[in-house]
Amino acid sequence: MAKEMIAMLLAGGQGSRLYALTQKLAKPAVPFGGKYRIIDFPLSNCVNSGIDTVGILTQYQPLVLNEYIGNGQPWDLDRLYGGVHVLPPYQQASGSDWYKGTANAIYQNIPFIERYNPEYVIILSGDQICKQDYSDFLRFHKEKGAEFSVAVMEVPWEEASRFGLMVADENDKITEFQEKPKEPKSNLASMGIYIFNWDILKKYLIEDEADPDSENDFGNNIIPNLLRDGRNMYAYHFSGYWKDVGTITSLWEANMEVLDPEHSGINLFDDEWKIYSRTSGMTCHKISPDAIVENSMVTDGCRIGGTVKHSILFAGVRVEPGAEVEDAVVMGGSVIKAGAHVRHCIIAENVVIGENASVGAMPAEGEKGVATIGPGVYIGDGATIGPNAMVNQNVKDGDEQW
Amino acid sequence: MVNTNTNALGIIFPNSYDSLVPDLVSERLMASIPFAGRYRMVDFLLSSMVNSGIDNVSIIARKNYHSLMDHLGSGREWDLTRKNGGLNIVPPYSEKNMKVYSGRVEALASILDFLKNQKEKYVILADTHTAVNFDFREMLNAHIESGADVSIAYKREEIPEGFKNISTSVGDLYYTLSIENDRVNRIFINSSEPGLQNFSMNIYIMDREALMELVKSAYARGYIYFERDILAPRLDKMHVHAYRFNGYTAHLSGMKSYFDENMKLLDDANLDALFDPNPVYTKIREDNPTRYLNGSRASNIMAADGCVIEGDVENSVLFRGVKVGKGATVKNCVLMQDTVIADGAKVEYLITDKNVTISSGKELKGTDSFPVYVAKGQIV
Repeated sequence: MAKEMIAMLLAGGQGSRLYALTQKLAKPAVPFGGKYRIIDFPLSNCVNSGIDTVGILTQYQPLVLNEYIGNGQPWDLDRLYGGVHVLPPYQQASGSDWYKGTANAIYQNIPFIERYNPEYVIILSGDQICKQDYSDFLRFHKEKGAEFSVAVMEVPWEEASRFGLMVADENDKITEFQEKPKEPKSNLASMGIYIFNWDILKKYLIEDEADPDSENDFGNNIIPNLLRDGRNMYAYHFSGYWKDVGTITSLWEANMEVLDPEHSGINLFDDEWKIYSRTSGMTCHKISPDAIVENSMVTDGCRIGGTVKHSILFAGVRVEPGAEVEDAVVMGGSVIKAGAHVRHCIIAENVVIGENASVGAMPAEGEKGVATIGPGVYIGDGATIGPNAMVNQNVKDGDEQW
Repeated sequence: MVNTNTNALGIIFPNSYDSLVPDLVSERLMASIPFAGRYRMVDFLLSSMVNSGIDNVSIIARKNYHSLMDHLGSGREWDLTRKNGGLNIVPPYSEKNMKVYSGRVEALASILDFLKNQKEKYVILADTHTAVNFDFREMLNAHIESGADVSIAYKREEIPEGFKNISTSVGDLYYTLSIENDRVNRIFINSSEPGLQNFSMNIYIMDREALMELVKSAYARGYIYFERDILAPRLDKMHVHAYRFNGYTAHLSGMKSYFDENMKLLDDANLDALFDPNPVYTKIREDNPTRYLNGSRASNIMAADGCVIEGDVENSVLFRGVKVGKGATVKNCVLMQDTVIADGAKVEYLITDKNVTISSGKELKGTDSFPVYVAKGQIV
C-alpha cells in the first residue's frame, strides 16, 4: 500500500553554535521545555498531522538521539508498516559516504522512500520549535497543483537579509529565491520545511548528485534548479510560533517563552496538539515547606528546597535549601547545592553547582549573555561563572570563569 | 537457555480488601486506586515483580476491573508485553468453568489449566492493598534456602486500624503469625491484639506443582481461603517459612488511612523509602510539566505533572492534571487526577476523586480525623 506522504527529518546538524550543549549530542536531541527534546516537535507534528512514516537522517553524535527515538513508541510511531526509522549514512557496494549535504542525505535514502511509494515527501528540519499542521500544508500544496512548496514566515524587513527568502506573486507562486541577500525583495523567510511531489524530488536529487560542482544542498542547489526549470513552486504562509533554536540565546529565549504561553504563542498545554516525549518515569516533584516557586515549570523527580523564579526545571533537578534559581533553564538530573545562585543561564544535564557557587547574572542594560554549563560538569563550591561564560570542564572550588 | 529471569511467576489478586475502602472502589478495585500522585496501587507490586526478574504475571480479577484493564493495557509500561509470559489479565467467566470467586482457592482453581502449562518452578501470590518496593528475588532465595513448602512475608507492625473494622461477611480476612525460628506455627485470623504483631503482607511463595495439588484438593472439598483453609490447619505437617520484611509499606485500610498514607509521602524519607532502590512504573499520560503561575504559592506539596497552580497550596498531594485557580486555597488535601479547585474556592482536609470540580468561591472543610471525600466526577 502506498503512503500519501512520508516525512524525512534532517537531524544531522552538529549545532556548533550551541557549543557546550552539543559536544556529545546532536542538536535535535537537545532538551527543551522541561520534558521534551527539540525533535519531539517535528515528530509530534507528524503524528498529529496523520503522517506515520518518518525517516530521521542522522550523522553527528547519534548515540543519544538513537536511544531516545528507540522504536518510536512514545510518538505512536512503532508501526508494522512505516513508523520511525533512524537513517545514518551506510556503506554501499560503491563505497561509503557521509551525508555531503541536505539533498545528498535524502538522495542516499531514495531506496527507503521508494519502499513506501509515496506521492509526496515532506522534508523537515530537526532544529526548530514549532507546532505546525503538515496536513494543512499538504492541502495547500495539492490545491495549488504545486510540484514543490515551501513553508514561509513573514519576518520584519530589517531582519530579512539574515534569511533565505522566497519572492512570490499574488498567487503565492514563487518567482525567485534569495539566500541571505543584501537587498531583500521579499520578507518571506523559508522555514526549511518543504513538500515535494516524490517523482519531482527524485528526478532533481539524481540530477543534483550527478553534478560534481553541487554542494548537494536544498537551498543552494535543488531550489535554484527547480526555479531554473520553471517548476510549479508555491510559498505556504505559516503564522504560528516558530523558533530556530540554533543559538544559546535563542534556545534560552524559547524556553522562557514556554513560561508565558499567553503572550509568546508557544502553548505546550494544548490538548488538541500534544507534544509527545519519552518520559523520565520519576516520582512526583516536591516543594518543601520553606521553598519558594514562582512563575516556573517543574516536572517529575524535582525536589525544591530553595527559591525558583521564572525558570524551567527538567526531570530530577534538585534545588537545595538556600539556593536561588532565576531566569534559568536547568536540565535533567542537575543539582543546585545550598546557597548557590543560578541566574539567566542554561545548565545542561547532570551538572552539579557547588555550595555558594554563582553562575550567570541578571543582564545589565543591553547585554544578552546567557551563561552555559555543559553536561556533567562540576562547578566547585564558591566558584563564580560569569554571564558570558561557556563551561564544559569542571571548575575547582572558589575558581572564577568569565 | 540463558538464565536471565527469576524462576517464578506472579499471581496478583486485585480485589483483595476492596471492602475496606468502599467509596474508593465504587467504580474500580483496590489495584487501580490512585496513590502517591501518579501511580495506581497495582504499579508497586507489578514493578517490584518486574524489577525482581519476573516476567510472567497473572491478575485474577473479581469485579470492577475496567479501570484496571484501562490502566494496564498490554502491560508495555511494565515491560510485560512479551511473547512468552508477560501480563495476563484473567477476568471472571473467561473460561467455561470460571465464575466470580470469593476466596483465593476458588480464584486459583479457575486458572489451574493455565498454571499447569507454565514453565516456572515457583509461584508468587500477592495482594494489592500494600504499596511497597519489594525484592521478590531475595524472598525467593530465602524460601529456597529454608527448604520450606511455603513462605509468607510479614512485617513487624501494629495491625492497621482499618483492618479491625473488616466485615467478615464480605470475606476479607487478615492474618497475624506466630513464629518460632522463622517457622510459622500458628496463623491468627482477624486478630485485634494491640501492639506489634507479625502482620502478614499476604505475599506467598511456593512450588507451582505443589500449589496446584493443594488447590485441587481444597477446591474439591469446597474450601475458599488459602490461609484459613489450607495453611492454618496444616502448620504441623507443612513447613511454612516466615520471611520478615523490614522496608517501607503503605497499607490502604480505609479512607483515613488512604489520606494518611498519601500525606506521609510529603516526608522525603518516606518517599525515598517507597521508591528506592527500584523504580516504579505506571501508565504514561502525556502531561506537561506542572506550571506555577505568578501569584501562586506552594509549600510542602507533592505534585505530579500536568498541574496548573495559580492559587495557594499547602501540605497537599496533587495528582496529574490538577488545577488550582486564582485566589483558591488548598490545605491538607489529596486531590486526584484532573481535580479542579476553581478561583477563590477554599478547601481543607479534602480527598477528591478523579475529575472533581470544586466551584468558584465554595468552601469545603473536613478535619484531620475525618477528611471529606468527594466522589469521582462530582461538581461541588
